[in-house]
Amino acid sequence: MSTNNRAGGMKDILEELQERRARARMGGGEKRREAQHAKGKLAARERLELLLDEGSFEEYDMFVEHRCVDFGMADKRIPGDGVVTGCGAINGRPVYVFAKDFSVFGGSLSETHAQKIVKIQEAAIRNGAPLIGLFDAGGARIQEGVASLAGYADIFLQNVLASGVVPQLSVIMGPCAGGDVYSPAMTDFIFMVKDTSYMYVTGPDVVKTVTNEIVDHEGLGGASVHTKKSGVADGAFENDFEALIQMRRLIDFLPLSNRERPPVWPSYDDPDRIDESLDKLVPENPNTPYDMKELIARVADEGDVFEVAPDYGANIVTSFIRLEGSTVGVVANQPMTLAGVLDIDASRKAARFVRFCDAFNIPLLTFVDVPGFLPGTRQEYGGLIKHGAKLLFAYAEATVPKVTVITRKAYGGAYDVMSSKHIRGDVNYAWPTAQIAVMGPKGAAEIIFRQDADDPEKMAEHVKEYEDRFANPFVAAQRGYLDDVIQPHSTRRRVIRSLRTLRNKQQSNPWKKHDNIPL
Amino acid sequence: MFSKVLIANRGEIAVRVIKTCRRLGISTVVVYSDADAGSRAVEMADEAVHIGPSPAAQSYLRMDAIIEAAKATGAQAIHPGFGFLSENAEFARKLAKENIVFIGPNPGAIEAMGDKITSKEMAKNAGVSTVPGHMGLIDDADHAVKIAGEIGYPVMIKASAGGGGKGMRVAYSDQEAREGFQSAKNEAKSSFGDDRIFIEKFVESPRHIEIQVLGDKHGHIIHLGERECSIQRRNQKVIEEAPSPFIDEATRKAMGAQAIALAKAVDYDSAGTVEFIVDKDKNFYFLEMNTRLQVEHPVTEMITGLDLVEQMLRVADGEKLSLNQKAVKFNGWAIECRIYAEDPYRGFLPSIGRLNRCRPPAEGKLEGATVRVDSGVEEGDVISLFYDPMIAKLVTHGPDRRTAIDGALAALDRYDIAGIQDNRPFLSALLSQERFRQGRLTTGYIAEEFPDGFSGAELSADQRKLFIAAAGYAHATLLERASKISGRINSRTPPEREKWTAIIERKLHPFEIDRENGRADIMLETAHDRFMIETDWRPGETLFEARIDGVAVALNLEPQREGYAVSRRGARAHVIIASRRAAELHALLPEKETADAGKTIASPMPGLIVSIDVEAGQEVEAGHPLLVVEAMKMENVIRAERSGVVKSVEVEAGASVAADDVLVEFE
Repeated sequence: MSTNNRAGGMKDILEELQERRARARMGGGEKRREAQHAKGKLAARERLELLLDEGSFEEYDMFVEHRCVDFGMADKRIPGDGVVTGCGAINGRPVYVFAKDFSVFGGSLSETHAQKIVKIQEAAIRNGAPLIGLFDAGGARIQEGVASLAGYADIFLQNVLASGVVPQLSVIMGPCAGGDVYSPAMTDFIFMVKDTSYMYVTGPDVVKTVTNEIVDHEGLGGASVHTKKSGVADGAFENDFEALIQMRRLIDFLPLSNRERPPVWPSYDDPDRIDESLDKLVPENPNTPYDMKELIARVADEGDVFEVAPDYGANIVTSFIRLEGSTVGVVANQPMTLAGVLDIDASRKAARFVRFCDAFNIPLLTFVDVPGFLPGTRQEYGGLIKHGAKLLFAYAEATVPKVTVITRKAYGGAYDVMSSKHIRGDVNYAWPTAQIAVMGPKGAAEIIFRQDADDPEKMAEHVKEYEDRFANPFVAAQRGYLDDVIQPHSTRRRVIRSLRTLRNKQQSNPWKKHDNIPL
Repeated sequence: MFSKVLIANRGEIAVRVIKTCRRLGISTVVVYSDADAGSRAVEMADEAVHIGPSPAAQSYLRMDAIIEAAKATGAQAIHPGFGFLSENAEFARKLAKENIVFIGPNPGAIEAMGDKITSKEMAKNAGVSTVPGHMGLIDDADHAVKIAGEIGYPVMIKASAGGGGKGMRVAYSDQEAREGFQSAKNEAKSSFGDDRIFIEKFVESPRHIEIQVLGDKHGHIIHLGERECSIQRRNQKVIEEAPSPFIDEATRKAMGAQAIALAKAVDYDSAGTVEFIVDKDKNFYFLEMNTRLQVEHPVTEMITGLDLVEQMLRVADGEKLSLNQKAVKFNGWAIECRIYAEDPYRGFLPSIGRLNRCRPPAEGKLEGATVRVDSGVEEGDVISLFYDPMIAKLVTHGPDRRTAIDGALAALDRYDIAGIQDNRPFLSALLSQERFRQGRLTTGYIAEEFPDGFSGAELSADQRKLFIAAAGYAHATLLERASKISGRINSRTPPEREKWTAIIERKLHPFEIDRENGRADIMLETAHDRFMIETDWRPGETLFEARIDGVAVALNLEPQREGYAVSRRGARAHVIIASRRAAELHALLPEKETADAGKTIASPMPGLIVSIDVEAGQEVEAGHPLLVVEAMKMENVIRAERSGVVKSVEVEAGASVAADDVLVEFE
């Protein structure tokens, strides 16, 4: 009898666990979930289903509830408290995740909500696995007052500690305002979902009160604002599905932590593949653009490229590719946009990408076709000097393998910046079409031979003279600034060979607490 | 035989002539313009001479420069190809003066056949049947109405110097004859600077059928049968074949005899083509004679086994024809598809740019047919606006018409082109049509079958099955590879039979796939259709070739952010492969309305307006160039993002613009 009792009791206990779990998984309930769908969004747990391998999600702190008793909150408790946290796998590799649950208190941040996030942030750092946050929330839990603010700060601190230790990705999939924006802001990459997400520090109402400016959510902080204008976000996707599938794809490129090398998988592509059409990529006319992205795709394994921030600072391209199955970060000037010039946006974007790669042991491949820095008051007033210096700084301090290929122009200071030999480029190549000079032949001739400015015939001669002297890679090659001049069609093979020899590269910078990059 | 020949042409025909010369041990010289400096013809020729800037008038039409090049290189003869100077009697005469052999007919023949009215008179005198019409010129509108009445409606009002559909009007009534005369005259004046007009009977349900003739300098002339070129778009031939599915032996004989009679009348002494229009009762009427090699000559070569370029070289060198009419034998059927850089989905707008990918099918046997590819471009080349935007002529030959058509379809499936849009989808859709397969052709075929243009072929159930199989196989392959990534903690081996869903146009198609290397067993659940797919496809390849239950298929598979863009024979679909659960979740998300491209075009960058190509009120197709902005010394062409009418152009040439400045506004 007593045995029976115990059995019945155990059964009850197990059943109760099941019930509690079911209740927690319901989040804010069926109605709120449907409301989420009606807005074109998925529920938090649905998003995690798409993000993670089937059946891999281990949820933590499912039963956490808030402790607030003010403003009638004592009666309103929902297990989970507005955020779903845990650990799972992407193609079998571990990741820590949290997903704000808009259906529970609008996903607002309470003390306990913050504690759940901090717990997995700490675990991610300790255990060396990437951290992915899915944002869709209404900001601070106002009823909790300063406890909520403290919670934010606890999360911020962990973001900072995790920076450079594990990759941190943020996906904005709904509202993300006020204090909520600073956690993603400190992660490595931010992605947004078009039309259903926005991000800003202060919303349209406050903007109107303070500045009389009338603007809507989308115009203030929609995906197009942040992926094109502000550069806050690194990419936008059509819907939740595409965004999450792409996060899986990105994670496949990234090492789990700074303690590891980038992941490797078997490549279907021949490392010795020759591509004759690259011999025709650079047009005869030096002022005709060509698509640098084509070169990147043609060099990459299987043409597979994950581009970061395609719409911001489009004059420079930052992408992840694989060579021989292993991740490489590519930085490339894009002649199709503004002739590939370096400006504020391009310098900032590329500098951050270079530092990410350096932090996570990802080799850097740089394709150079740069006419210089962008002139103009807008750039100078905007601080081009300091922003340009960021990229120079980032390249110079980077100790990962650095391979550079100059395809055409490498003019002036921009030549130095773009992973030149002088700032510790490991292997520097140029195509025969390269021109390495202080400036374009015309500009140079006009300065050197100022006295002949009014004589177009003589000037043309001078231009030709300068062209013959510098519009080729051999002057630089003679000095050893280039390791070799290579055939465009063999670019993939040569870059792969270089990276093989650099696999065990070891280089360190002088000891310092940290550097002082011109922020 | 000549030891060195210069080719005064470019592109595929230059390559074509070089090939024959090489085979005959003749060294070759090509001339080239700026745009063609890196062309295949220049690479292949033994010598290449630069003759000027890209526009033809400054290069390929410059007789002096070409003659100079021939003299400088010691070329004994010049092959003019087609177009450019190929039908220029003055050029032929100039060459004669310089003792350089023109590989073509005598200048007298060129001249006689070059003028529509003269050629018609000569044809009539030679006993060639001509379209009933008035032999003289038309003075005015009243005269036009009178003559039209005599001939009987419908009539065709034509410019004497006309060609390419310009200066042509069909009239079914006095009123239309009056109007047609005036507009044809105006158009002729502005297009050709020659407003002479004549009128002839308009043939209904006409077919374009032409006879290939070949003559030598010793008075021998033979014909090599006919080619049917009825499939035309705006008077541009698109698909040609030999023989014609319409012509019987008696008609062939009669047409051949008349073609030879005309050729004899002008002492024709090279390869030439007599074009006829044939009505539904097999009555044929002379149209014109082309005194050069035709673009579509390969179909004749395929069924006769002759090399027409070789024949031209031999007769130009004074050799007698090596065969007589009796020795000409026809073998099987040949079809030529002209692959153009044009966008069939956007009103066949020329699509210029770099050929990022250009991988022709292998020449030789395919599906019981023989494939031949005549092309002057290769991967990485640029299709420019300066010349005819032809990428290749795809020729297939088989024992019968069906085999030739199916071979053409199979070869088109395996032609992998990207970077610019091309007309393969349209060609495939046309070749698949039952009416085409039955050979019921007229010159109005395309206008009748595609009255609203081309918007792609519908995705049939069979095609869908192929698309799912290909995307499913690709997905399973990539997933298996992903499971080999380093750093895994969960070692999940894929279950034997994976359950997936293909999402096409938001419809869910559940299927199961059991894949190992190179083969997969696939079951479409809804259709209870189970089949085996075998393939060598590897990730990174865009051409997906496979055998499905033993039947060879090929399609195009381009990875997208989500899933794949799959296309074959004019049908296109976006296929996403997802787990059952992921597909359910996908279905919860609303379909997004494709954002209507804005009504304004803004400058993407600060720069200088170099030129403006449109004006207010102009109707433009999507992709049409609007203006050119120069930034950092680079010229960037700004194109229309959608079709529409230009409301206003907000800038002037020479103006400086800032990024996001509005350039053009649409209605």
